[in-house]
Amino acid sequence: MMNTLRYLSSGIFVISPKLLTSSLPTSVKPSSISALARGETAGRRFYSTIAAVRTDLKVKCFSNMAAPDHKKNVDVKDDRISRISSSIRVIPDFPKPGIMFQDITTLLLDPVAFKDSIDLFIERYKGKDISVVAGVEARGFIFGPPIALAIGAKFVPMRKPNKLPGAVISEEYSLEYGTDIMEMHVGAVQAGERVLVIDDLIATGGTLVAAIKLLERVGASIVECACVIELPDLKGRDRLGDKPLFVLVSST
Amino acid sequence: MFAEENGLHGDPRIKAISDAIRVVPHFPKPGIMFQDITTLLLDQKAFKYTVDIFVDRYKEKKISVVAGVEARGFIFGPPIALAIGAKFVPLRKPRKLPGEVISEAYVLEYGTDCLEMHVGAVQAGESVLIVDDLVATGGTLSAAIRLLGKELEVHCSSSSTIILDQINNIYIFEHVFLERVGADVVECACVIGLPQVKGNWTLNGVPLYVLVEPRLNDLGHFGDGGFV
Repeated sequence: MMNTLRYLSSGIFVISPKLLTSSLPTSVKPSSISALARGETAGRRFYSTIAAVRTDLKVKCFSNMAAPDHKKNVDVKDDRISRISSSIRVIPDFPKPGIMFQDITTLLLDPVAFKDSIDLFIERYKGKDISVVAGVEARGFIFGPPIALAIGAKFVPMRKPNKLPGAVISEEYSLEYGTDIMEMHVGAVQAGERVLVIDDLIATGGTLVAAIKLLERVGASIVECACVIELPDLKGRDRLGDKPLFVLVSST
Repeated sequence: MFAEENGLHGDPRIKAISDAIRVVPHFPKPGIMFQDITTLLLDQKAFKYTVDIFVDRYKEKKISVVAGVEARGFIFGPPIALAIGAKFVPLRKPRKLPGEVISEAYVLEYGTDCLEMHVGAVQAGESVLIVDDLVATGGTLSAAIRLLGKELEVHCSSSSTIILDQINNIYIFEHVFLERVGADVVECACVIGLPQVKGNWTLNGVPLYVLVEPRLNDLGHFGDGGFV
């Protein structure tokens, strides 16, 4: 019987039956393992926990950050940024081939990193007389409200068409192929209000520009756009024109 | 159960939350009195009360996961998760989550829809709170509960690995994937719920905790506009 872990060329852990027995899901029949241990072969199959381990690893890779040593001269903000950055998962070829998708859901699975990301935004925007945080559907809905609550601002959702009930204003914007529409409630934002626009990521900047246009149409003043991640190669920052952009992580 | 039945009777915050919710008649279709929480989000005090009441209820309950239903569950779930130190897991419409997902279909008035969650986001045995803005028929929340709560099932995929050891035993490892999570859904929390959820009403065995009832006028019946 094998007693050691062995890596196959595909990089998947092979776990010996001995190790497996203690961690198998309940639906696996133990009798099939002992049959194999006795040397019975073809036709006898048992289920491994390879995928369970692999999945476990996938999540652990992003949350298994060692706590920073308490060196007095270490910049605490840098530690937070590096933890946030490491917690973001990149998925190749999603939603289409060639795109390296920056997946923030793994950041949300690390309560310390998620709180750090919100704290970094709160530290920057508290006391700046911002009365509106506008969050772009749907991932802007995750980051915007905690910031709004902490800085005492309203939260205004910027949504895809036909989601907001009642009177709305709409702005059409370009996608790589075709166009989309963003909507905001009439009356949510008043003229002269100071607004922070939030989304999880800025790529080409098209979405943020649409949000800016809607807000400016009602006479609001954009203080800044804030994102967790920027893809600088796509030059979204330039498309924002004179509107400042603040990001936590830049991904090339 | 409603918050008022459980320690918050007469709490002025409940009225403030209810008053801050706008009713939009005949959205998304005639007859539906849509309960619009965006006006609650414009009222900083009432929005904070909403989150505070949920946080007070759940902070000592050792909940390690808050699962929010797209999209309005994304507004209420994260502030709760952050305050109680839990992970936030988005439950999304199909094809939004990248990478490996598990899914659960559910029935709408016309047709079906599907809810997805990332594989590996929640581990078996974790305590989970599900959050959405409103519960009406409970179709969406039921799907969320089923997605999170079923026992671990293990299925074959098409590939396998064959190992031959020194004494010629053949071990065949089937590569498997988790189909269900086996987490423990502690409760579903919603801002708004129909009166039927009073008392010990449960959904798939899971209790519901709700802050306010829908408001309606005399002309129509209330609804949630579905999974939006």
